[in-house]
Amino acid sequence: MKRKLLTGNAAAAWGARLANVDYVPAFPITPQTEIIETLAGWFDEGALKGRFVTLDSEHSMVTAAASAAVTGVRVFSATSSQGLLYASEMLYAVSGYRVPWVLVNVSRGLSSPVTLEADHNDIFALRDSGFLQLHASTCQEALDMVLMAYQIAEDVRVRLPVIVNIDGFYLSFTREPVEIPDENKAREFIGEFDAHNISFRANVPLSHASAVLQGSIYSYFRYEHHLAAIQAISVFNESAEKFEKMFNRSYALIESYMADGADYVFIMIGSFATKAKEAVDMLREAGSLTGLLRLRMFRPFPEEEMKKLLKGKKAAAVIDQNLAPGKGGVIYTETAAALCNEKEAPFLISYIGGLGGRDITAEEFYEIEKEMRKAAETKKPPMARLLFSEAELEAVRKLQGIAGVEKKNEQRKN
Amino acid sequence: MYRIRLHGRGGQGIKTAGRILGEALFLEKYEVQDAPRYGAERRGAPIFSYVRAGKKPINERGIILHPGLVVVADETLIEIPAAGVFQGIAENTVFFICSNESSDFWRKRLGIDSQIITLSQSEEYDTALDFHYNSSVCVGAAGRLLGVISKESLKQAIEEELSVFEKTVIEKNIEISLKAYDELSSYEGIVKRGVGISADSYRRLNWVEPPFEGADISAPAIYDSGTSELALTGLWRTLRPVVNKELCALCWHLCGSFCPDSAIYLDEDGAPQIDYEHCKGCLICVMQCPRRAISVEAEHKKTKEAKGA
Amino acid sequence: MKRKMSKEKIKKMRDIPFERLLASGTAMCAGCGALEALHQIYDILGKNTVFVNAAGCMTLLSVYPFTPFRGSWLYTSMASAPAAAQGIRDALDILIEKKRIKPKDNMQVVVLAGDGSSYGMGLSAASAAIERNLDFIYICYDNEGYGNTGQQYSDATPHAARTSTSKSLTGFQYYKKDIFAIWAAHKPAYAATIIGSDPLDLAKKVEKAKNMKGAKLILALSPCPTGWTFHSNETVKIGKLAVETGIWPLKEYADGKIVHTKIPRERKPVEEYLKIQGRFKHLFEPQRNDKLIAEIQNEVDKYWGHYNH
Repeated sequence: MKRKLLTGNAAAAWGARLANVDYVPAFPITPQTEIIETLAGWFDEGALKGRFVTLDSEHSMVTAAASAAVTGVRVFSATSSQGLLYASEMLYAVSGYRVPWVLVNVSRGLSSPVTLEADHNDIFALRDSGFLQLHASTCQEALDMVLMAYQIAEDVRVRLPVIVNIDGFYLSFTREPVEIPDENKAREFIGEFDAHNISFRANVPLSHASAVLQGSIYSYFRYEHHLAAIQAISVFNESAEKFEKMFNRSYALIESYMADGADYVFIMIGSFATKAKEAVDMLREAGSLTGLLRLRMFRPFPEEEMKKLLKGKKAAAVIDQNLAPGKGGVIYTETAAALCNEKEAPFLISYIGGLGGRDITAEEFYEIEKEMRKAAETKKPPMARLLFSEAELEAVRKLQGIAGVEKKNEQRKN
Repeated sequence: MYRIRLHGRGGQGIKTAGRILGEALFLEKYEVQDAPRYGAERRGAPIFSYVRAGKKPINERGIILHPGLVVVADETLIEIPAAGVFQGIAENTVFFICSNESSDFWRKRLGIDSQIITLSQSEEYDTALDFHYNSSVCVGAAGRLLGVISKESLKQAIEEELSVFEKTVIEKNIEISLKAYDELSSYEGIVKRGVGISADSYRRLNWVEPPFEGADISAPAIYDSGTSELALTGLWRTLRPVVNKELCALCWHLCGSFCPDSAIYLDEDGAPQIDYEHCKGCLICVMQCPRRAISVEAEHKKTKEAKGA
Repeated sequence: MKRKMSKEKIKKMRDIPFERLLASGTAMCAGCGALEALHQIYDILGKNTVFVNAAGCMTLLSVYPFTPFRGSWLYTSMASAPAAAQGIRDALDILIEKKRIKPKDNMQVVVLAGDGSSYGMGLSAASAAIERNLDFIYICYDNEGYGNTGQQYSDATPHAARTSTSKSLTGFQYYKKDIFAIWAAHKPAYAATIIGSDPLDLAKKVEKAKNMKGAKLILALSPCPTGWTFHSNETVKIGKLAVETGIWPLKEYADGKIVHTKIPRERKPVEEYLKIQGRFKHLFEPQRNDKLIAEIQNEVDKYWGHYNH
């Protein structure tokens, strides 16, 4: 195994290469483009055998990916943000095809207003698409999760496509040391592609994904899809066990960092969770019993695991790098639903941070810890909060000044 | 409340009939809910519409499972289980069937105890277009059977719902509906208001948790070919083509080539045979046969003959 | 130099295969012009095909668990069927290259799309597919409107046609998009217009396409009884008039040239085609709209004048 400095994008591309993918339909979008460029190069030079093709849009790209998977080949693709949303009709549609493939999403904030920076609104907009979701926190995980994703997706108990999410810029364009598994071992880990019942062959007629016009029949198909997604919890654990044996890296559904015996926990997802680890280390040094819970799998939502890990904690602060207008943070909402009938559940506090790539500072983690303490003592958790400072608000005002906001309002008044 | 279900085929005016009744009841100061039920737009396929009417705002929704009045505009639907004409009927459900046959005929044929009332169009009909007027008969009949719709309200409702049509069409509809209304004077009000499902004594359910089944079983895949043949689209038909063997020139199966539904095949002698299980009665073959060797017959007549009525 | 032997076997009516491969029992309207063309096409393309459906009337060809196909079928979306064709074609090529399937397991990939998809939102995917010289057949059944949703106007709707979204006395204000020209501008391997009312012309063209590699358009005018408002038995009659009036030119594009396969010697006036369809009734009643009829006639005259016929 070689250890190299790789960007998250390069690591994801390596994951696809080690999975020996057959087909990569593509469409460029910032900040994912390096992935497809890397793969195109490998196809060109013969390191990968199969086809690379650029479609006219992400909507078409996802269609081509899924149709190729239905035909019976191993497929990989990648997109981000606006592209993911443009494809959303098809993401929902093709998950119901019940064929496996892997899509890497390099998460980036959504318009409007348009941005190129990272957050999780894009990936969470597709949380109900029927795709499974794995979230990477490091460039190593970017590679490893692509491999695991193929194994889980292709498992006969699952047969669903998977999105592996890596954060734009913070992972996509950031280099970290990554151990690239040996090619043969990776092949051994995933195995050959088996199309099972669904494939297109002459003399083997298949009419796939036909219309269904009755509620009961439709309900059956949709519910079985859901049950298959739930199966992915145990399949993930089996896959992680096998992965650990072969590659010596251990992955739990939810990473528990110093959370054992902690009173207070941060709950996060993605690359910014490593900042929380840093904060946990410092808080521990200062004598606080704080830990971190980081979801590696978001769909299916690892409910039992979450309940288990939160049991007996005094307070938990969910730091969502996403915001559902009119509701709030997505991870907060889903965690709250998991806890609602539990005895010994912690106070759950919601924070929104990191939208559009906004940093979350060490000090902010420490302030959050203080609020968790206060909540536990007073038994009064605070309202949901956007992490935002006075200085930032001042900066907004300055920009509004330049944009002539006051001027315009005055004009309107006169 | 009144729970009325109307059955017909796409293109026969069943949706409009439901709306006319709904509008008429609304004019009589009832709270109303009416809606049609069909899939994509397809002429000839069985559809139904329903009307709920009560004195209080209606909270029930969806298809009517326990109708107090079932109206059947096209009697050929009775043979089609998928049309669901008998779904949820109770002893006191009243049936109205637009048919030339008598109530006794249908009672014997169907073997049910429910009250069955029939009326037909007075003129013999030979083209599918006249089936619209069956809906007009149904509207008038239903109006009388409910007993709470005045002639004036019925007339107004028809004018309202058919306002996009020409005056002559509206007038003909009113004429036919009111005639039916008059003819059923002795049955006025036999449809009673029904009550909802009792919370004390209802049929217990059998909920089941669908077992997890892998995609090999639970994917929406059809692993066979030509299973559509199990769908008997011949039941859509109101007119049927009949090949006259004497006149047929055994040409190069022009009729079969033009048949959109693959419903004409050649037998061992190369003679065209019509697959009546699937023929929808579009009659393209009739029009295109260069020898005029294919004639048209009304389906309900065939049904009668077949059943030896 | 030896002239390449033509692979085409269909020369006369009797050469046209009559397998009735497309099974009966589908939910298309009685007299559907699109189904008529499709069932003829399917006999020639055969069962070693994967039909990729773009949302439209033909979505309901297969309703679980029923399918009329003897080969394969995949439902995709309204805008991306050609992209699905790309995925399937590529996957089959990969499987053969990597010897995971045998060459005899190979199939032809066929897109089945209505005009709604083909003239509109599917254009992006189609254009890209042609540009990549994707080896596939693209069948567009053109019933000149968004049929499955109730015949709203699409970019394929002809001038002055009444649709559910163009109900004024002058009908649809724009003109029919020339999708054939758009395809031809891409320089595809082949493009052809066909119609179910001319089975021999259809069969020759489809056979040609079947034997060719590259992107191939088969554009079928599909007279629609439900959407164009005419009795289902007139589908073929109207199809023939579309050709005889010159409104629907039967032509092919190949090797940079457009060739007409049928040239109506004396074109019938467009009026004969228009007046028997309900969607053009407003051009004749309550009074004649000579201006609009002339506009339509002029467009047709201009077209044929350009081709000097």
